[in-house]
Parts: sequence; structure tokens; C-alpha cells
Amino acid sequence: MSIKHIWIVFKKEVRDIIRDKRTLITNLLIPIILMPILVYFMGGGMEKMEKDIENVTIALTEKSDTAEIRSLLEQNIFGDYPNVSFNGVVADPTAAIQDDVVRFVLDVEEDFAAKLGEGTPYKIFVHYDETDTKSLSSYGILTQAIQEYSQKQVEQRLIDMNIDLQILQPVSIVPINEADENAGGNFMLMMIVPMLASILIAVGGIPAATDLVAGEKERATFEPLLTTQAGRMSILLGKYMTVTMFSFVSVIAQLIGLLIGGLMSPSFFTMTSPGGQIGNFNIPIGALLLTILILVTLGMVFAAVELGISTYARSFKEAQTYLSFLTIIAMVPGYATMMLQPDDLQLYMFFIPLLNAIAALKMSLGGLINYTYLGIALGTSMLYVILSLAAAAWMFNQEKYLFRS
Amino acid sequence: MIETKNLTKHFGEVVAVDNLSLHVNRGEIYGLLGENGAGKTTTLRMLATMLQPTSGNAVLAGYDLVKNPEKVRSSIGILFGGDSGLYDRLTAAENIAYFGRLNNMSELLLQDRIRELTEVFGMEEYIKRRAGKFSKGMKQKAAFARSIIHNPDIMLFDEPTSGLDVSAIRNVHEFILDCRSQGKSIILSSHSMSEVEKLCDRIGIIHKGKLVAQGSIAQLQEQHQGKSLEDIFIEVAGGGK
Ligand SMILES: Nc1ncnc2c1ncn2[C@@H]1O[C@H](COP(=O)(O)OP(=O)(O)O)[C@@H](O)[C@H]1O
Ligand SMILES: [Mg+2]
Repeated sequence: MSIKHIWIVFKKEVRDIIRDKRTLITNLLIPIILMPILVYFMGGGMEKMEKDIENVTIALTEKSDTAEIRSLLEQNIFGDYPNVSFNGVVADPTAAIQDDVVRFVLDVEEDFAAKLGEGTPYKIFVHYDETDTKSLSSYGILTQAIQEYSQKQVEQRLIDMNIDLQILQPVSIVPINEADENAGGNFMLMMIVPMLASILIAVGGIPAATDLVAGEKERATFEPLLTTQAGRMSILLGKYMTVTMFSFVSVIAQLIGLLIGGLMSPSFFTMTSPGGQIGNFNIPIGALLLTILILVTLGMVFAAVELGISTYARSFKEAQTYLSFLTIIAMVPGYATMMLQPDDLQLYMFFIPLLNAIAALKMSLGGLINYTYLGIALGTSMLYVILSLAAAAWMFNQEKYLFRS
Repeated sequence: MIETKNLTKHFGEVVAVDNLSLHVNRGEIYGLLGENGAGKTTTLRMLATMLQPTSGNAVLAGYDLVKNPEKVRSSIGILFGGDSGLYDRLTAAENIAYFGRLNNMSELLLQDRIRELTEVFGMEEYIKRRAGKFSKGMKQKAAFARSIIHNPDIMLFDEPTSGLDVSAIRNVHEFILDCRSQGKSIILSSHSMSEVEKLCDRIGIIHKGKLVAQGSIAQLQEQHQGKSLEDIFIEVAGGGK
């Protein structure tokens, strides 16, 4: 094995790939263009959705269309809700809801005023569509308004009866948030980045890995290469470095794309978990470095596995097929853990290849750093680098796979 | 100089090469004649250190094949198959230089040698152009240059004319003869009688991994009542199918 030969092989392979327009476009250009578009639509879409939920449109049934009821709703109940608007009267509530004419149709009992006076409860019927997410979310706003109004009526009655309002609240709850200041983080990033990173690291090296062994076998350049004075391990390592590098080229391209997307629609990055707060997004430098190292080792493992598969394959086509299966395998842990929150992370996850990198990334983005866990992830990753490289080297020395013809 | 001794290669149950012993002198072309599957490629791959012999050994240019494969590689050049095998996205010069560097040539020597070979093969016009767009003839010349960039003492040709047209075959033959005139020891594997008759000083007929006849054409004919090479081949290799 000689550093000089490894370097010669590496330089040649990089030059060769850089001249391949197709690889460059898939590895570099598409991520840089595609990511901002993705971010823009996802960010923009969610923003629009949130606005939509707030903007509640309400119609009345024909029999509820009286001045009394109108004043009850528009002034008393929804007076403090400027985003709630009344859109006339509908004859058929079912049709109006299903055709999305309005979000709610309200039907108030005609004799409500009398009942109110008597102190007996009256009903407001709310027509809505439970299968519509927006309708369901807006429903909260609607009921809140009605409950507030109801509460006011109760208080008024108690005051009239000379009863202290405190009787309504035998216990009061005092919330004290003890969450770690650094916790929280960015929900969107925590969900998407680990999954995306693992898939991209897997996919990024595939064109290079296919070309560098299976392609070379097919083009009949492999045998002359093996008869140079470069040892087989030097050739393998030169190719290995190339594949590892290209795993990261596409990741970096993707991050650049994500950044451009973030500049275009900043709201994407400030979206929070449901009910959570906008987290302060800062990863301690030590955790950041550990995570980057873990990701690099993940790229090295993928590079070795991909080269091993490319060596095993009978042809370029066959290598492409096997490697596309690898992409699918790489996707599984990413998707499976997408909704996982940093405090759901389990110790065992930091031992399993690929899952350990995803978990480490999630932990860092979440801000709840456990350095023991990160250390375990890095340690196991390094072990997997050695194992996968040994497997690739073994494959590269198998005469029956290297010379299939 | 090439000398093999009981060279043997098993692939599982298959005995691809069976106790093969031959020698090739300096400035000599040795023809390895055999049908498909006879064991020619396997023999040459062992000599080129790509495959490890199951048993037996060889000495190439004074180096022991089993003990010193790296040194052996410094002394051999190969041209395997009809395909030229160039990297399409590299220029002819870059293709050639890659193999020169991997053969530990100094940059100075390498550039001199590329200049020399460019002239020898008349590649001045396209030496700096990418190989992907070359005609077959241009590719062939670049592949020739690549195979001898490090000026090896030994050349191994494995069916170098398979799938080529007449003029390309002629180019290969001329190249092989040039190599001989430079004093290299050459093994040429082929299944073509006429090719072997035309070029080779001595011939070994290989059948099912075994060397079944060996000698100059004159010697072989003497041993087989003056029959033609084809008849001799059928006699020693055809019958036992
Ligand atoms: N890598 C390999 N694995 C298994 N069997 C092989 C391999 N290479 C060659 N063989 C077998 O060895 C025998 C000789 O093959 P080969 O040397 O290619 O013959 P030739 O070059 O004369 O056509 C054949 O039976 C072939 O199937
Ligand atoms: Mg063959």
C-alpha cells in the first residue's frame, strides 16, 4: 500500500467524475435548485394553512337569521374576534359545508333570549366537517369564543346573586416550566434534517461507486489498472476516498439549497412543534463537532458498502440495481424516526449503524445533549467504518467476484 | 524471459489451468493457441498477477511471481481483449500518464516518454483530446501507448484482435512485431491459426487447461507427419471433447 498511489488514483477519479456532466447535475445542481423550491412550498404552504385556520367564515341557517341572533353572535360572542366573519344565510347547511362555501353554519335556538332570562340553557348547533383539518382546527377558535361568552354570563349571574367569583375556582393551577433552556430546538429541522442527511449521504456516493468498480470492469480498464505497480489496496483506498468525498458533495449542495430556501422563506425555520415555543437554535460546539464526525463516519461506511456492492456486481446495470435497493434500506430508519422527539431517543439507538447518526443529529438539533450517548455513537460508527472497509477489502480480493467473466 | 513451472489454477471444481510449464525467451513471440474456455485468459491473468496460482509458480524478468508480484508488475504490459479500455473523460495523454504514474515513473521521464510515443504512433493531433470522441483507430493507438508507457520487458496479449476489423487487426499485428523487435518477451493468446502461424516463433496448444503440444511450427509439423497447423490442432485438442 502506498500513499502516493492512493493519491494518484484519488486525483484521477475526482477529475474523471467532475468531467461527467450527468453526475455533476444530479449531485450538485439539482439539490441546489430543488431544495429552495421544496422549502418555499412547504414553508409557504404551512403559513397559508395557519392563516386559513384563523380566518373563520360563518353562515347562519335561515331560521336563525334574526336581528337578535345576529347581534348575539356578531357583538357579544365574536366581538373580540376580528378574523371571524359572517357570510350571510344558507338554506342547506350540509351542502354549504361540503362545498366549502363557509367553514361553519350556526343554528341558534330562536327562543334563546327567553331561556337566557329564565336561566335555562339554550343550544347553538354548529355544522362543520370533521374530515377537514382546517375545519377541525378552526373549531377550537369557535368553541373558545362561545365558552368565553358563556363564562361571562355565569360571572354576571353570580355577581347578581352576590356570590364571590372565587367559588368557581377552588383550585388554581400555577404552571412552572422547568425545561432545559437549550431544549426545544427547531421542530421542522429536527424532523427533516436527520432523515434527509442519511438518505443524501447514502445516495451521494452511488454514482461514483457504480462507476469506479462495476463501470471500470465493464469498460475493460480494470485489468490494466490491476497490473500497474499500485497494490490492490491502494487502488481500493483511492476509490474509497473518492466515493466518500462525493457522498458529502451532495450533502453540502443540499445544505446550500436549504440555506437559500431559508433565505427565501424564513418562516420555514421558525415553525415549532404543535403547542411548543420557538426554540432558541444553538448547538454547543462540542456536540456539533461530534455530530459532524459521526456523519463523516457514516459517509465512510456507506462508501465502503457501496464499493463492495459495486465489486460484487456482474455489470454496471446490476450495480445500479443493487445500489438503488441500498437507497431504500437507507431510507427506512430515516422515515421511521422522523416524528421522534429528542427526548424519545433511546440508548440502543446510538449503537445501531445509521440509526446512531440519525439519533445524534436529532439530539444535537434538539439541544438536549448527552455527551455519553454522542460518544457511543461516534465509537460504534468508527467500529463500523473499520468493519465495512474490511468487508470491502475482502470483496476486492475475491477473485471470483473481481473476474466474473 | 518468462518461465512457468507447473502453473495450476482451480476455480472450485473447475481446473482452469493444469500444470502448465513453458518458457519464452527475449525477443520471442509465444503463441498460446486454444479454444474458448481452454484456459488462456486464466493463464495470462496469473502471469499478470491478477489471479493467484493454486499451485506452481513462474519467473518473469527474473522476479518470482508468487513472492514478488509487485516487481513482476513493473516488468509487464498487457493488452487484453479487443476493447481498447480507455477512460472516456480523460484525454489520451491523461490516460497514458495515469498508468505511467501508477508504475512509479518520474514526471520528467513520463512526459518524455509520452512525447516519444505520441510521435511513434502519430497521435500528435489528438493526444490532448478526450478519448470518448476518438475513432476506433485513435483509441487503439492510445491503448498501445498506454500498455508500453513504462517500457516493460514482457508483453502479454490476450486475444487482442477479437472483434476487430481487418485494418485494426493489422495494426495490432504490427504493434506485436514492433514489441518483438525491441527485444521483449511476448505471449500472445489466440484461437486463430492464421494469426499464430503468421506471428509466433513458438506455439503451445492448450486444451482444458493442459499444454498438449509445444514447439515451433516446423517442429510441430515434424512431429505430426507434416500436417497443417489446423489438422494438428484438431488432432491434439479436437478429439477429446
Ligand atoms: N473467475 C472465474 N471463476 C470461475 N471460473 C472461471 C473464472 N474464470 C475462468 N473460469 C473457468 O475457467 C476455464 C478457463 O477459462 P478461460 O481462462 O477464460 O479460457 P479462455 O480464455 O481460453 O477462453 C473455463 O471453464 C471458465 O469457465
Ligand atoms: Mg479468454
